[in-house]
Amino acid sequence: MKLLNWFRFDRLEYGLDRELEYHLDRRVSDLMEEGLSELEAKRRARLEIGGLAQVREEVRDVWLTRWMREFVYDLRFSARSFLRSPSFTAAAVLSLAIGIGATAAIYSFVDQLILHALPVRDPGRLVLIDWKGDPVSTGFGSWNLMSYPICRDLQRHDRLFDGVLCRAATTITLSIDGAAEPTAAEIVSGTYFHVLGVGSVLGRVLGSDDDQPPGESPAVVLSYDFWRSRLAGDPAIVGRNVLVNQYPMTVVGIAAPTFRGVDVGEVPALWIPASMSAYALPGFDDLLDRRTRWMQVLGRLKPDVTAAQAQAALQPWFAAMLVEDMGRPGFPRITPERRQRFLASRLEVTPAPQGHSALRRRLAQPLWVLFAATAVLLGLACLNVAGLFLARGFARDREIKTRLALGASRGRVARQLLADSLVVALAGGLCGLALAPLAMRTLIEFLPHDTAATALHASIDRRLLAFAFAVSVAAGLLSGLAPAIQAGRRSLISSLRERAGSSGGVRLRKAIVAAQIALSLVLVIGAVLFGRTLTGLLAKGPGFDTTSLISFGIEPRRSGYARVDASRLVFRIHDEVRAAPSTTASAIARYPLLAGGAWNNQMTMIADRRIATDREVNMNAVTPGFFSTLGARIVVGRDFDQRDMRAADDSGPRTAIVNEAFVARYLAGRNPLGVLIGVGSGPDVQPNREVIGVVTTFSYRGLREESEQAYFPMLDGGEGVDGAGNFYVKVRGTPEQAIQSIRALVHAADPALPITYVRTVDEQVSRSLNAERMLATLSGGFGALALLLSLVGLCGVMSFVVSQRTREIGIRIALGARGSAAIWLVLRDAAAMIAAGAAIALPCVWVLGRLVESQLFGVTATDPATIVATTGLLATVALGAALVPAYGASTVNPTDALRAE
Amino acid sequence: MPPSRFLIPQGTLDMLILQILSAGPAHGYAVAQRLEQISRAVVQVNQGSLYPALHRLEQKGWLRAEWKASETGRDAKIYSLTRAGRRQLAVEKDSWARLAGAIRLIFNEGGQS
Repeated sequence: MKLLNWFRFDRLEYGLDRELEYHLDRRVSDLMEEGLSELEAKRRARLEIGGLAQVREEVRDVWLTRWMREFVYDLRFSARSFLRSPSFTAAAVLSLAIGIGATAAIYSFVDQLILHALPVRDPGRLVLIDWKGDPVSTGFGSWNLMSYPICRDLQRHDRLFDGVLCRAATTITLSIDGAAEPTAAEIVSGTYFHVLGVGSVLGRVLGSDDDQPPGESPAVVLSYDFWRSRLAGDPAIVGRNVLVNQYPMTVVGIAAPTFRGVDVGEVPALWIPASMSAYALPGFDDLLDRRTRWMQVLGRLKPDVTAAQAQAALQPWFAAMLVEDMGRPGFPRITPERRQRFLASRLEVTPAPQGHSALRRRLAQPLWVLFAATAVLLGLACLNVAGLFLARGFARDREIKTRLALGASRGRVARQLLADSLVVALAGGLCGLALAPLAMRTLIEFLPHDTAATALHASIDRRLLAFAFAVSVAAGLLSGLAPAIQAGRRSLISSLRERAGSSGGVRLRKAIVAAQIALSLVLVIGAVLFGRTLTGLLAKGPGFDTTSLISFGIEPRRSGYARVDASRLVFRIHDEVRAAPSTTASAIARYPLLAGGAWNNQMTMIADRRIATDREVNMNAVTPGFFSTLGARIVVGRDFDQRDMRAADDSGPRTAIVNEAFVARYLAGRNPLGVLIGVGSGPDVQPNREVIGVVTTFSYRGLREESEQAYFPMLDGGEGVDGAGNFYVKVRGTPEQAIQSIRALVHAADPALPITYVRTVDEQVSRSLNAERMLATLSGGFGALALLLSLVGLCGVMSFVVSQRTREIGIRIALGARGSAAIWLVLRDAAAMIAAGAAIALPCVWVLGRLVESQLFGVTATDPATIVATTGLLATVALGAALVPAYGASTVNPTDALRAE
Repeated sequence: MPPSRFLIPQGTLDMLILQILSAGPAHGYAVAQRLEQISRAVVQVNQGSLYPALHRLEQKGWLRAEWKASETGRDAKIYSLTRAGRRQLAVEKDSWARLAGAIRLIFNEGGQS
């Protein structure tokens, strides 16, 4: 705790002064009472206490050990001397501010998204329970999906768990006092709040009582943030009814303020019990179905149980359950191989103090890559400051020699130099922290903005402060190490013997510049790779024409429509959109394009024999004209038309369209038309859909993906349409005008029906490239900064070398050497450093490349063209920077140079 | 100054201060006066070492200090014993008694031989 005294030194001094003063005054008055004169009394009092200055010193030694106190003086001395050389200070502080600011900003996200435990009771005991193997079921949602009945089963294992919860994120239409809005919600088991240990600020949270048979507990809990922002913190909301997808449910309470659900990337506004899932997910009635996976299961381990023990202890029960499951009615008929895979399944129990997050899964790798990049940038900034210090060390040679001559130990001088670098680093850290929120806000801009807000924030918290402080101190030590060692090593005698401006230390500075060039080369190559990935994806495009194409979505079933009415409404709006003067074409798809998801399953086809696809096919249901609206060409056969649009109960022939990738993989060399296909891979699948056309391949899930796809006609109220519509509309004029008329049109059809999203497809393309754009932009920025820092370093060292060799150059020129020879002399040095830098960097690129390979597209991590071009460019720029001092060398005036000493 | 006074043994000053303050809170000057009184005959305490000792004990958490009006009405830094200080005093008294006992024992044995 002595460290705290650093910060209140002045107050302590003041207190001690007052205390001693009091002592002396009392002593003097006592002595005067004994009959001494005032003068004599004062003398006696001082004598008794034995030297005030010494007492003060001794008390100060109590506050801080001597070593620390001297270090405080060192820091003060450093601060004063920095204020005297502002340009040096600015350069050093700015270098570190950039490095520390960037590192702190990225770290903040790594921390918030990846490392930070949930703000719940004892998060270290939370585990994620996941199915490994073939679950023989259909799933929807993000990852780690399980069925609700399995969660209920696991809740009975109370010897392993203090409770098990399950949850699924969704979007509902929430109406409060008539205003309907798409709202992020979490469907949870009644155990959810109890397991997490989260309470309410008002009313109650959900409890086991809410795990009722389906439909029997219409209760919701609102999040604190939502309650404050949307309802102005009105306590009267508790006990009132709100409409969830037009179904009335009662608000029973408001959750604790800090709690934002278990997914940092998708913050719900309200929690709905799983028993009400049929209303939260319109049309969903598989809550009790063991073969429908849609929830994540999290458990709280008993204090004395580890995740591995729990996993082992669950296995016997789980194996028996698998066998039991196979005998249950409704278990699909599957092939023997698949049955084997099913029975080999096991449960995996992994620690999950951070909860579950789809965003984390998507961004974790790009964030680590960026974090590594900032670490490299910070290292580079440290090298820069080390170089600056070395240069300054020579300028301070005289001062240091004097100190040594006066008897200062080498350690004492080295400590002074370390204090210097610490002061600079702490100042740099402070400036970096000031820059960090700006960088963090930029970063947040790259994240997708959906209905569910992320809990990520661009503010400086205690953890970030601690991190920045630690990084600053480390940076200070790193950048001060070289100069301090240099000062410690230099012997007094030899340095006194040397002439002013000796060559010692130049080798060290050159090594530093070579390292800087190596680091910046690594960063620039990374930036080029990510830049090429982004431009490559943008240039490739989705494979269809996005000009004047907008898309929007409606979900009437979330507004209380029954299935048939919902799809009737979708088709009515579709007709009106097509008739609107601002549109030229319109089509509907069941699932949106480029939104990351897809409806997928294996398929079975009968050409000359029956085969199942070896991987999942992405499927969609669309209306006639979908492909022409997108500008995708039908290569063979025909598009869907009204003939294909049969009602669900119509038993007429079914049709399908597949893409070229599908044909290339499964029907190569065959006429695809007339082939029968069906969804699923089991022996009971009836391939009864006739392929009537083949369409060009375009992106569905995202731009990187162009795999096998199959399309079915969107049926009126039947399969493939769940009453939701994703519209694709080709517009005349500006998208803004068309969007306005579409809004008016949907509003006229049903004023209470919200549009879930509306945007141009170009915008959708750019949204789908969020992670790539983030990587490209930030690594580009880091690369540019790195380049700048190392060029400044190179230029500085070369100027120094030139100033040292002025005499030599002067003699050469006097003896008849040309100016160009002088330039060559300097450039040769620079070229050697650049070559050394490249020699260090290239193996690093080769190693680091493996780590980023998965983030790249259309270019390999060790792409020779990229590496050669980047290295060449960097070498050219660096030589260009060296030309400035080199030109200075060529204009040396021999007479001046020889006179100068 | 009486000639028979000898310097206070190293490390005992802290114990004496704790002992004095166990009777009740006091400011530095009062502690000095009290030390002077109780040690008048035997021990010589350098007043200069009193303040480092007080600050050391405060740093260790054995004393608590507070600026309060003193008996003269002027604000003084009043020290009082903390719970940890009370425990420490007991420990030191005990070890001192054991040390003194041990030394007496050695002297006695030496006397017999």
